[in-house]
Amino acid sequence: MKRKSDSNFVFWLFLAPVLFAFAMVIVVPFILGVYYSFTTWSSSARVGDGTRFVGLKNYVESLADPAFAYSFIITIGYTVINMAVINMAALALALLVTTKIKLRNLYRAGFFIPNLIGGLILGYVWQFIFNNAMPSLGTMLGFTSWADPSNLILASNIKAIGAIIAAGSWQYAGYIMVIYVAAIENVPQELHEAAQIDGATALRRLFVITIPLAAQAFTITLFLTLVQSFKQFDVNVSLTNGGPSTMFMGKPIFGTELLALNIYDTAFLSNNLAMGQARAVIFFLVLAMVALVQVSLNKKREIEL
Amino acid sequence: MKRFTIVFAVLMLAMVACAPKVTKITLMQNKPEIDGALKAYAADWSKTSKNEVTIKSVGGSTGADLGKQLKADYAAGDMPDIFVIAGPEDYKEWESIILDLSSEKWVSKTAVAFKTNGKTYGFPVAVEGWGMAYNADVLAKAGVDPAGLVNLDSYAKAFAKIDAMKAALGIKSVVSMAASIDMSWVTADHNFNSLLSNGLPYGDLSVTKDLASGKVDATRLAEYADWVELLFKYADRTVLTTGNYDAQVGAFASGKAAFLHQGNWTDPNMKAANATFKMAFAPHGSMKADTNGIFVAAPSFYVINSKSKNVAGAKKFLEDLVFTDAGNKYMVEGAGMIPAYSNVSLKPSGQLSASVQAWAASGKVYSWNQYNFSTDFRQKTLGPIYNQLATGKIDKAKFVALMATAFGSLKK
Repeated sequence: MKRKSDSNFVFWLFLAPVLFAFAMVIVVPFILGVYYSFTTWSSSARVGDGTRFVGLKNYVESLADPAFAYSFIITIGYTVINMAVINMAALALALLVTTKIKLRNLYRAGFFIPNLIGGLILGYVWQFIFNNAMPSLGTMLGFTSWADPSNLILASNIKAIGAIIAAGSWQYAGYIMVIYVAAIENVPQELHEAAQIDGATALRRLFVITIPLAAQAFTITLFLTLVQSFKQFDVNVSLTNGGPSTMFMGKPIFGTELLALNIYDTAFLSNNLAMGQARAVIFFLVLAMVALVQVSLNKKREIEL
Repeated sequence: MKRFTIVFAVLMLAMVACAPKVTKITLMQNKPEIDGALKAYAADWSKTSKNEVTIKSVGGSTGADLGKQLKADYAAGDMPDIFVIAGPEDYKEWESIILDLSSEKWVSKTAVAFKTNGKTYGFPVAVEGWGMAYNADVLAKAGVDPAGLVNLDSYAKAFAKIDAMKAALGIKSVVSMAASIDMSWVTADHNFNSLLSNGLPYGDLSVTKDLASGKVDATRLAEYADWVELLFKYADRTVLTTGNYDAQVGAFASGKAAFLHQGNWTDPNMKAANATFKMAFAPHGSMKADTNGIFVAAPSFYVINSKSKNVAGAKKFLEDLVFTDAGNKYMVEGAGMIPAYSNVSLKPSGQLSASVQAWAASGKVYSWNQYNFSTDFRQKTLGPIYNQLATGKIDKAKFVALMATAFGSLKK
């Protein structure tokens, strides 16, 4: 009996540092954040305007704001397209570097490297590519339409969202590729050989053997890309910073402001920290729900060997 | 063991007692371009006084912004001793911790300190100004006299004339203007001020107050819209819709544009780009009536945190900027700023700064009223409207209607 309580004590003792850190940097800020979302908190020294409790006011006003609704819509669109592009690109790259082509290790490293560049820097690099490099290249190659200012990618909000997808995918596909590579290499070679003897084509083996057996990898990659796309912030800030503008519900608003940037701008540009916090809570609830559904759906497809 | 503890404790006490009393001052400011000069001056100043000044510079790029940093630091209980406010909106944000500086020595030496309710709160960092910066060499070649650029008509004629001679003059566009969302401060802060103060006596807030309460002077707004349209029409579209600060200023500095919609803070950029042509400012032509002056004011003010542990040191730091040779040298030569104090005789070397000083010396100045509107209103409501016009999604009539609606929404 004594033994057991001793080991229990040791168990919690070893866990304590992690629990403490988790509580301090995740649990406490989260609870405080939820609390602030119901108040007029401003984190400034205004006169006569202490932090008051206002109930659901911040939530109601957020949901009535066209800019927030617009951000929600484009974020969902962005997430769907971005998940598809990243995963298809990553799977294609993974299949490429698991074949016996020459220099495959070099390719693996090469495709992974963009992931090591910070999103902010990457955004500025791609801004230069879209604003300067492409028009110059177009002029050089004789595609004068590339250099036409009215065709500039970052001057149209729909194209600019495409630009964020391109830059984001370029950064993240290599990382997801690594996960696919690990899963593909774990598929037993015997199965492929047996199928080959039976006359299965490479494409058929991909769909019947490789993809089902790599289902665990899909659970992880889809989850990672879903969360990463939904939370997209750094590339958004540095590449477009919300511009160009667009009209939505009769109001001119930022045309490429994804949810995370909308929350940030609400807090710091509009000087409304409490409402930004309320939007962050809504953001959290939606993302948590979608992610749970995605993981449980994917889990069903996993196969135990 | 016990003896050792006692010895140790005595030693510690001795160390604390003997340590020279150095107090720390933190100054947080928003001009990365003067960061180096300010740090060097602060280091020298720290050596001669008993204070240790730390300079933190925030700003100049996307996402980095003094207001955001101050809020984060305030929440963390780590507010700097001296920080920067830009005007009335910022003042309101920090009102309860801003120290009254009315009895400071420098107050009598400046006309542009930040005052409210008869009390002085802000130490003007410098004097800045903008108008239409022009390349005098290009204008001379095109036969346009900058002295005649005083109203909408004269600008329209000059722009059309220069536009027709672009190839001969070796320029790419007439005006270097930026209207992307990232550059909203050019449109929704600086250009917007033409609507608020052009042609009015210095400090006249009548138009500002009317607009802030939803009252729109249709004629003034219509003339202003003509001016915005004119600027956008003769701008390089690539720079206008997607260009950043470097692209906008670079086009003018490299002689590819005859006019630049920026202020005298671009002097260091001109120097870096080896722009040797003659340049100066002309008034904004936002009205049919003649206007004879450019927009000049103190862009930002140092304020002292009243909760600071070292108010005396902070006050001394500000005072020494004005009343010591080293302080004057730093402001004018080190940072290249136009001093806001009458006792400072040094003059900045930049051509555009010299032009601002010349306009100010002859009293032909209009005030900066844009900061009477909140950042939220300027950046998130007005910014997209200018951007819509710049990208050609709306026409001038719609621009006027949207602006009027935006002001209407301010009515309480």
